[in-house]
Amino acid sequence: MVKAKLSTSPAASAVAAAPPKGQGIRDHLGLIAEMTREFSAANDYKTVAHSALERITKYVGAEAASLFLVSDEGDALVCTACYGPVDITGLNIPATTGVVGRSVTSREGVMVRDVSQDADFGGVVDAKTGFTTRSLLVAPLSVGRECLGAIEIINRIGGDGLFEEEDLVLLETLARAAALAMNNFRLTQQIVQQERNRHELELAAEIQRDLLPQPSSRDFPIHGINIPARSVSGDFFDIMTLPDGRIWFNVGDVSGKGMNAALLMAKTSSLFRCLAKSAEDPGQLLNAINNELCETNSHGMFVTMLGGLFHPGSGSLRLTNAGHEPPLHFDLRTERFTAIPADAPPLGIAPGIAGPDGFPVTEIDLEGGSLYVFTDGLTEATTFGGGMLGIDGVRALIREHAEESPDLRLKSIAGAVKLPGQSLRDDLTLLVVEDMALSRTQNLISPDTNVAMDEERVLRIRVPGRADRLKLVRNATEQAARFYTTNESWIFDLKMAVDEACQNVVRHAYGGRDDAGDIVVDFIRQNDAMTAHIMDFADPVDPTKIKPRDLSEVRPGGLGVHLIKSVTDEANFEPPPPGVGNLFKLTKRLPTKVN
Amino acid sequence: MSYEVREENGASIVSLTGDVDLQTSPQVRQKLLETLEKSRSVVVDLSAVNYIDSSGVASLVEAFQVSRKKNAAFSLASVSSAAMRVLSLARLDKVFTIHPSVEAALAAQA
Repeated sequence: MVKAKLSTSPAASAVAAAPPKGQGIRDHLGLIAEMTREFSAANDYKTVAHSALERITKYVGAEAASLFLVSDEGDALVCTACYGPVDITGLNIPATTGVVGRSVTSREGVMVRDVSQDADFGGVVDAKTGFTTRSLLVAPLSVGRECLGAIEIINRIGGDGLFEEEDLVLLETLARAAALAMNNFRLTQQIVQQERNRHELELAAEIQRDLLPQPSSRDFPIHGINIPARSVSGDFFDIMTLPDGRIWFNVGDVSGKGMNAALLMAKTSSLFRCLAKSAEDPGQLLNAINNELCETNSHGMFVTMLGGLFHPGSGSLRLTNAGHEPPLHFDLRTERFTAIPADAPPLGIAPGIAGPDGFPVTEIDLEGGSLYVFTDGLTEATTFGGGMLGIDGVRALIREHAEESPDLRLKSIAGAVKLPGQSLRDDLTLLVVEDMALSRTQNLISPDTNVAMDEERVLRIRVPGRADRLKLVRNATEQAARFYTTNESWIFDLKMAVDEACQNVVRHAYGGRDDAGDIVVDFIRQNDAMTAHIMDFADPVDPTKIKPRDLSEVRPGGLGVHLIKSVTDEANFEPPPPGVGNLFKLTKRLPTKVN
Repeated sequence: MSYEVREENGASIVSLTGDVDLQTSPQVRQKLLETLEKSRSVVVDLSAVNYIDSSGVASLVEAFQVSRKKNAAFSLASVSSAAMRVLSLARLDKVFTIHPSVEAALAAQA
């Protein structure tokens, strides 16, 4: 489109007087240096292009000039800057037409000493603006093989108004210098933009790292590690403990790498965290995530995921594998591995893809061993020797580091493929679920009970969870209570409450089996109250199933909870410490002393 | 825990001694139900019971229910303070017939 500002002022008055003939090389160099300086200091391409055009026009001694640049698509020439009485900025002509097109196509300067003699001169602009073009020079803006566009100058000032051969040589020289300066400006801008992108990517990576869980404490049963191949990662893992002590975890891998994979990762991991809070089962959870992802996902991206729910008390796991690398169950006693293959497609491909029953669930018992979940970034990583690690390599590394603590072990395994200073080919994520049962039977685990400043630990006992040990618990309770009071009825009530709570563990949590597990009771004096923490290592108990009975109904059973509630100030299930199945906490205020 | 059953004036007296808890209550339950099969008048002497838990109380409740079905006389006698504490917390002190002594119970059930 022609955006012409018509000017009626005499063309000659708008330009400086023609320079004296026979300018020296020193003057040329001075002009080139000035243009280069201007470009390097500028941040607006068009302003600088205009200024360069003006300098060149004045220097050569012409009435008007236009700067044409090749469009981004390469099929057109766009007038970017004008100098002189007529402004045709924005004029867009096909890349191969006209005198300018000829120069750009041939990469050579063109002189039309007398336009009336040249067939290529269209005269379109003249017709629209009233300007009379008599003579013109065009020089390409070439940098190496690339041509940025061309400079066109019109009507020599002075003499017969026609250009000479030496004017073309001068314009070509200046155009080459201008092209170089413009190209430098363009590259600098690109570097600035890249730097800006890099900074934004760093911010994205930081936010993404925040989506991963904090490192687990050493005695926590689940640990994970994530090493991105680029600054942002398409891999993720998460660990989330429910109030009842069960732990959700996942490892996922988004198809592709880079920013789009990272965004889908962020979405998927948020969905997991949000939906897991109300999910009962990993099959149901992954089905829900799949349907949510399919509602908005496009571009053929998908996510493989291993999702699981772990009962730390029993060491049992429920797993759903949606197209993910099969995790490995490692039995520490036999040193044997079992792979748990994927039996469902990846997430995000189609809603309801797993069929009417949702995603299938595999239940396994860790039996004192560990479960390793990882992404193909581990199996496909290059080892120090140069080959691919492979599943056998993963097994060998797990065996090699089996004796290390879980957090250290994950670092050792990842360290075998991630060499310092080198980046990985693919994101690497590795997660381990440890069954504490083995250490439990060896009595190595000692549950943590936080004791605050105003608290005093009185006694801890640990007995097998059997009916014939309850008398021991009662005797211990009595002795612990006698430490603070001689009030016999208070002592009796506390003894009864602890006994009833332990009885529930034996009957409900351990189901009356003799060798089911231990009971640990911590007696803590807190200010003016005594607290008993009754801990077991069974599966979490549903507290709603153990409720006080209706006393108007005379029948055997269901009385224990009523007795406990009657004689204590507080009695509740609380989130258990790591490795513990259930924690039942009861508090009874010490009797007021009667003097 | 130990127990003793004796006959007096046509009634069976079951005396319990020690702790009636999750471990021992199944035996107490069994002994009480056995006694109720043979006798139409049963007195449970709780004077020597140091401790009774909810499972022990449940055994007493079950025996009480059986006695009602069979129209047999069933009472508790000389209830120790420990046992009384649990019975009253369970609000069963008004359900059972409780006598201050075995003699009083025998007199009432004669």
